[in-house]
Formats: sequence, structure tokens, C-alpha cells
Amino acid sequence: MLRTIIAKEFLNNILNLRFMIGLVLCLIVTVACIMILAHDFRQQMNDYNARMNIQDEILDNYAVAKQFRTIQMFRPQKPPERFRLLIIGIPGNEALGFFDYNPLPILFPPIDFLFIVTIIMSLLAMLFSYDSIAGERQSGTLRLVISNSISRTKVLFGKFIGSSASLLIPFILALLVGVLYVSVNPAIQWDSSAWAELALLTAASITFITLFYLLGLMVSTFSRYSAISILNCLFLWILLILVIPNICPYISAQFCRIPSIGETNRIDREVEIHSIQAAREHMKEAVKKFRLKYGALFSEYESMGFGGNEYWGLAHDDDKLRKATQQRVEADPEFKAMVDAFREEDHKAHQELLRIREANPIEDDLHRKAASQTTLAKNLACISPFANFVYVARDLTGTGLRSLKYFEQTKYEYERQARSYVDKKIDDAREKDPALEEESFLDVSDRPRFMFKEEGLKGKLGEVLPYWGILVLFNVVFFAAAFSGFMRYDVR
Amino acid sequence: MIKSIIRKEILSNLLSYKFSIITILSTILILVSILVMYGDYLLALDNHDILRKESGDHSGIIPPTPLGIFAKGLDDNLCRSWELEGVGVEISSEQQKSLNNLFKLFTAPDLLYVIKIILSLCAMLFAFDIICGEKETGTLRQSLSYNLKRPILIIGKWIGGFTSFILPFFIAVLLGTIFVTLSPNVDMNPGNLLKLGLFILSSVIYLAIFFSLGLLISCLTHRSSTSLVISLFVWTILVFLIPNLGNILARQFVRIPTAQQLDLKRKRIMNRALFEMKQIPKTQADFEERLKELEFRTIKEGDQLDEDYRNSINRLVKVSQSITGLSPAPAFTLLATDIMGTGVAEERRLKKAAQDYKDFLVQSYYIDGSLDEESEQPDFHYHRSSVKDILGQGGLSNCLILILLNVLFFTGAYVAFLRYDVR
Repeated sequence: MLRTIIAKEFLNNILNLRFMIGLVLCLIVTVACIMILAHDFRQQMNDYNARMNIQDEILDNYAVAKQFRTIQMFRPQKPPERFRLLIIGIPGNEALGFFDYNPLPILFPPIDFLFIVTIIMSLLAMLFSYDSIAGERQSGTLRLVISNSISRTKVLFGKFIGSSASLLIPFILALLVGVLYVSVNPAIQWDSSAWAELALLTAASITFITLFYLLGLMVSTFSRYSAISILNCLFLWILLILVIPNICPYISAQFCRIPSIGETNRIDREVEIHSIQAAREHMKEAVKKFRLKYGALFSEYESMGFGGNEYWGLAHDDDKLRKATQQRVEADPEFKAMVDAFREEDHKAHQELLRIREANPIEDDLHRKAASQTTLAKNLACISPFANFVYVARDLTGTGLRSLKYFEQTKYEYERQARSYVDKKIDDAREKDPALEEESFLDVSDRPRFMFKEEGLKGKLGEVLPYWGILVLFNVVFFAAAFSGFMRYDVR
Repeated sequence: MIKSIIRKEILSNLLSYKFSIITILSTILILVSILVMYGDYLLALDNHDILRKESGDHSGIIPPTPLGIFAKGLDDNLCRSWELEGVGVEISSEQQKSLNNLFKLFTAPDLLYVIKIILSLCAMLFAFDIICGEKETGTLRQSLSYNLKRPILIIGKWIGGFTSFILPFFIAVLLGTIFVTLSPNVDMNPGNLLKLGLFILSSVIYLAIFFSLGLLISCLTHRSSTSLVISLFVWTILVFLIPNLGNILARQFVRIPTAQQLDLKRKRIMNRALFEMKQIPKTQADFEERLKELEFRTIKEGDQLDEDYRNSINRLVKVSQSITGLSPAPAFTLLATDIMGTGVAEERRLKKAAQDYKDFLVQSYYIDGSLDEESEQPDFHYHRSSVKDILGQGGLSNCLILILLNVLFFTGAYVAFLRYDVR
């Protein structure tokens, strides 16, 4: 009997106008989206290659022995996400930190696979279910079905399975067209992990779509008329998809405040002054120690303005003195040993300065509070299945906040590597040419290259599973509510 | 007779479940949106006060507009503190960007969003069964069996239906406006109130389009369930699909480098200039002169790069507007944000003002010699567009698109109803 109900529900739906409209819309939108986004992906790849070339040109021709300036040239470039032809990265993120940017993505967030699932499919799911119970009651067919020897549980299950199957046809067909396009396009090279991510994304999308079907079914079991049912469904759809996720970040910003820019700057300045003072104190102590240890030799070095180096306020930078000291260093090995030891003290002072700056409490406090604000917003938004699905889909495909964080981490590691590389290069160059000026050209042709690798699937899964679990929970709750509503439903 | 039809339409709407649910939804949403965005405005104002005190020479920052409470648009980006650099303009502080990353994922729930997305759907839900619903219940046949002309019936239905839909919207917006105007932290001067009035007027025109469209669909169908399904899909296409897909499509026709690439190109110019600077022997008699000449050349090269980029962006906006012209949502978004001073036109104007400020400083320093490093630097001053500017900057054409679509859909509904089989 269950099979008959499933078959009846399935056939009934696929012969309906809403199925045809849904199918046509899904196919057209998916094909249009994928074709446009694939072209956009190629453009983004070209842009990324152009950026890499410009950066190489800058580093090959204009790197200098001034650490700060050269480090700036090493800033890693982020390649377009491999899933960009399905899901566009975070809109408006490109504009951050730049005076000139493209304002259109901020005003009109681009359409992608997420839009197809969250807007078109969720709306379609509700249109499939809003009258499954109330509509059949109105037309009198529900009474006829129940008058047979069939349990209400079977009726409800049959309706759910039959309708869900018919509802998923437009989605699966559209997705297959997309997959076909990806697999035959030579410009797109996906490895096995990308295909696995796509399979998981499809499974998560199905969870999300059935959730909205069950929500519609639940509303239908609590309504007497389909006109009321559709209004309630749309009311809930607006709240869950369009209102709650967008309001939550603003509500959390009001409840969980981040220290103001003024407060952050004041503490930053204090830490900066304190770190420079600590470095200066370290060098003063070193001077005392060296005076005792080297006596006249060190006095000579002092009279040479510490080799023309600033050394945290001990002297001033002076190229002439630097050259004179170098000549002296070359002539006297004992003097050289002393200068090297003093440079080592300077290095220690620098380390001390970095240690104090890195231990800056405001940075930690700021980021801790920002993290708790984001967590609060994220948890509040979990009331909406839309937010949960967005987290799952974006984090799974490397187009969300997690991927930004992951990129920042790899970027930080590369920059650290680049800093030690540049330091070593400058030291080597100074060794070869002691009169090396800060503006002198530095050959960095053997520099480490930045290669961005997507995060592994295991790490991503750990992040998305709780949100996916919430989606499953929503499914269970809505089904249970629909079940309880239908058990007590007056079919007359 | 038309009065009776309007009265009947209003009364039947007021007593309907649909009216209660849509009124509750829209009122709550509008008030929550205004309250939430008001809090956001106060935070932006605090940050602006601190950043303004810290901004040095050759820099600029403009305060957030209170109208951003209603239509935020690009205001977050417009109100960042920037500094003129040798090549290009740079955002002064990294701290200006929000640390709460979740803002990046979701759209700002301002009044513009509520009207553009949610109320447009509500307008269609109000209108989808005006004709076919009455046909199903049989009342349409009865009404037309009297001495009642079809044009009067449809005009009466439109006026009555739209009035009952728009009244709760007016009340909620009025309450929100009173709250914002009475707040001591918000400077709602007459100019701002006039702009808000224009924004509300354009919103009414926009919502009328969706109401007329719902009516048209109702006149073209014979069952309210069919009308509802078609209305929802048309709404999805007009509000989401055309504007957002059109925007990416436009990018395929106008090639624009990313902001990161532009930044790298600027860095290349700057580093090349520093390299060339090193080649000039300091001992040469005309060192200062050659240095100044190089600096001037570098600045001009950077300006050319910026100008090309901004011209491409302007072209992109135009192409995007042409592609999305079929939908009222982009025209309304551009018109509303332009009216409120948070749109693309304002952004273009601000960039031009920054460029003019830079040109003035460059002219004074390198050509006239009226400024040197010792003299006091003039400050950057900027006023947002007046209503007259807005209408000149393309606001009028967007307004015309909205009116035209309104006329088109209503005419369509009118013609369809004249040929409608009421049996």
C-alpha cells in the first residue's frame, strides 16, 4: 500500500504545473549560472596569473636590502577557489582594504549554486508540500484514503517519500548538467577530493531541501485550508531565509561589544613605546657589559657611532661611519669579533621587542571579543536552517569564512618564512659588501614561492558536521511535528 | 460605483487572514530593521569620531549618513578613512574593517532590503488572487452581472487593494522615522527628510509594480493556486535572478582587474620610481629638480591607472544596468541608494572629490609652488549629493524605468481583464 501512495504522490506531483516551472527554472538557472561562472573563473585565473607576474616582476627588479620594504613585496596572492564555478566566494570581501573596488557585488550579491538551493529549491519544496494534507482534505480525497485500511503513518511516509522524490528530480537533473559541464571543460581540473566535496555538498543540499518540504508538510497538518497553509509557509520561509540570518550579526554586535578603535590604538601605542624602551634598555646594559669586557676597543667602536648603526637610539644611521667601521673590521679580527658579538646583542634586543609586541594583550582581547561576537552571531543564526546550510556548503567547498582563516594561516606561515629568508639574504649581502645600503638591490631570485593548497577534507568535515547535524535535527523535529499533527488531524 | 468597489476591497482585505499576517510581518520587520540599523549607525559614528581625530595631512574621511539607517548601500566603504599616497589612494587603517566576519556572509537588513525583497513578495501575495480568486468563489460573475464596467472594477480593485497593502507600511515607516528623528544622536535636517520622503515615494512606486504584476498574473490565470505559483517564480526571477546574474554577466563583457591587481600595479609604479630615484646622483646640481620631476611623473602615471580603472567600473555599471533593465529591483536599488547618498553615484563623486583634492595639492606643490612641506596643508571637504545632483546623476532614468514598468504591468492587467472569461 505504501508503494501505491508513493507512486500516486510522485505522479501527481510531476504532472503538476509547479513541477514543470520548477524543472525549467532549475535547469535554466543552473546552466546559465555554471556557464557564466565558468567564464568568470577563467577570468579570475587570468587575473591571478597577472598578479603573480606583476609580483615576480617587482621582486626580481626592485627588491632592496631594506627588510620592511622587501617583506611587503612578498604578500601572498590568493588563487580563485576551485568551487568558484558553483559557489562564489564571499561577496564584497575583495573591496576590503582598498579605496578603489567594484561596488556592484555589494549591492547585488552574485547568484550561484547556493542561491539555487536556498531560494529556488526551498521555495519549490514548500510549494510541493503546503497543500499535501490541507489541500487533500478540501478536495475530499484524504477522507477517502483514510477510509481504507491504511494507517496514517503509512500515508504520511508515502507522501513524504513520493513528494521528496519528485521534488529532487529538478535539482538532481540540474546538478547533473552542471557536473557534465565541469567534467568536459578542459579548463577545470578537479581532483578526487573536489568530487568528494561535491558529493557531500549534494547530500547536504538534499538534507536542506527535505527540511523545507517537511516544514511545509508540518504547516499543512496544522491548517484546515491550503490558502492559510501557504500564507503560513511563506511567512516562515521569509523569517527563516530572509530575516533571521541577516539580523543576527547586528544583534550580536549590540550585545557583545568589541573594544573601540580609539581604545585599541591607545593600548597599541603604549605597548609600542614599552617595547622600544625594553630594547633600548637591553642595548644600554650591553654597552655597559662591553665596556667592561673590551675596554679601549669598545670605546673606539663607540667613537665610531656604533658602526653608523642606530641600535635603538644609541646612535644615528650614518653610511660614512658604516664604511669606516667596515674597513676597521676587515683590518682587525679582534675588533670584528667584538662587533659581531654586539650585533648579536642587537638581535636579542630585537627579539625582546617582538616578544613584547606579540604578547600585546589588546590584540588578544580584541580578537577574543571579536571571536565571541562572531560565535554569538553564528549560534543565533543557527535558528535558521539557511544559516546552517550556508556554513556547511561554504566551509565544505572552501568558499567560506573557514577558508579565509585557513588562507590567513598559510599566508602568515609563508610571510614568516619570507621574513627569515629576507633577513638571511640581507645578512649574506652585508657580509659580502659591508657598505651595503638599505636602498641597494637585493637578489631574491631563489626566494621561496607561495603555493596555496586547499585544506584537507577531514578538517573541513570536522567544522561542518555540527551544522549538518542541526539540519538533520530540524528534519527530525519537523517530521515528528507533522506526524503528531497528522495523527490528530480531522480529515472531514 | 468606484468608491463602493474601493471600500469593499479595503474592507474585505482588512478582515482577511492574509492582511493580518502580512501587516504583522511587515510592521515588525520595518521596526526591527530601523532599530538594528540605528544601533549600527551609532557604532559607525563613534568610529568616525575617533578616526577623524587621528587622520593626518593629505587624508580624508566623511561621516556616516543617518540615511544609511534606511539604505546602507556602500556607506561602510564610503566612510573609511583614506590617505593620498604618491601613487593612488590608500585606506588608512586595517582596523576599519569589521572583525565580525559574519557580516560578510549575510546582507544588511535595512529598510531597502525589507522593501526590495520582502515587501515586494507581500505585494504580490496581496494581488495574486484579486481576480482569479473572485472567479473561483463566483463573486466576480455576480459583480459583472450588474451595470458595472470592467475598467471601473479593475481600477477600483487596484486602488482598494494597494491602499490596504500600503497603509501598514506607511504607519511602520512613520513610526521608525519619528524614532530616528527624535533621537539626539541623529541629525535629520530638512534635506535628509526630503531625501527620505523621495525614498519612500520611490518605494511606493516600486511596490506598486509588484502589485500590478500580481494583478496581471491574476488576470491571466483562472485558478488562484496557479496564479500563486507563477507569481512566486516571477518574483524570484525579477528580484534575485535578473539583478544578480546580470551583474556577473556584465563582468564578462567589461574586463576589470581585481582591486588586488590594481594595488600591485600601483606598487610596481612606486617601486620603479624609487629605483629610478636611486639612480639620480645626489651630487648633481639639478638633483632636487630631477627628483621633483620624477615624483610628478610617477603621480601622473598612478592617476592614469586609477582613472582607467574607474572608467571601467563606470562602464561596468552601465552595462549591468542595461542587462538588468527588465527588472525593477536593480533600478530601485540604484535609485534608493543614490537618493540616500550611499550608492554608486555617491561613491563615484567621492572618488572624484578625492582625485580633485589630490590634483589641487599636486598642482600647488609641483607646478604653482604655492605649497611646500613646511606650509599648512588644506583640509579635504566633502558634502553628499543634493536632490538636484541625484536626479542629474541617473536617478531620473531609474525613476522613469520604475514608472514605465508600473504603467506596462497595469496596462497589461487592464487589457487582460477586459478579455477575461469570468464564468
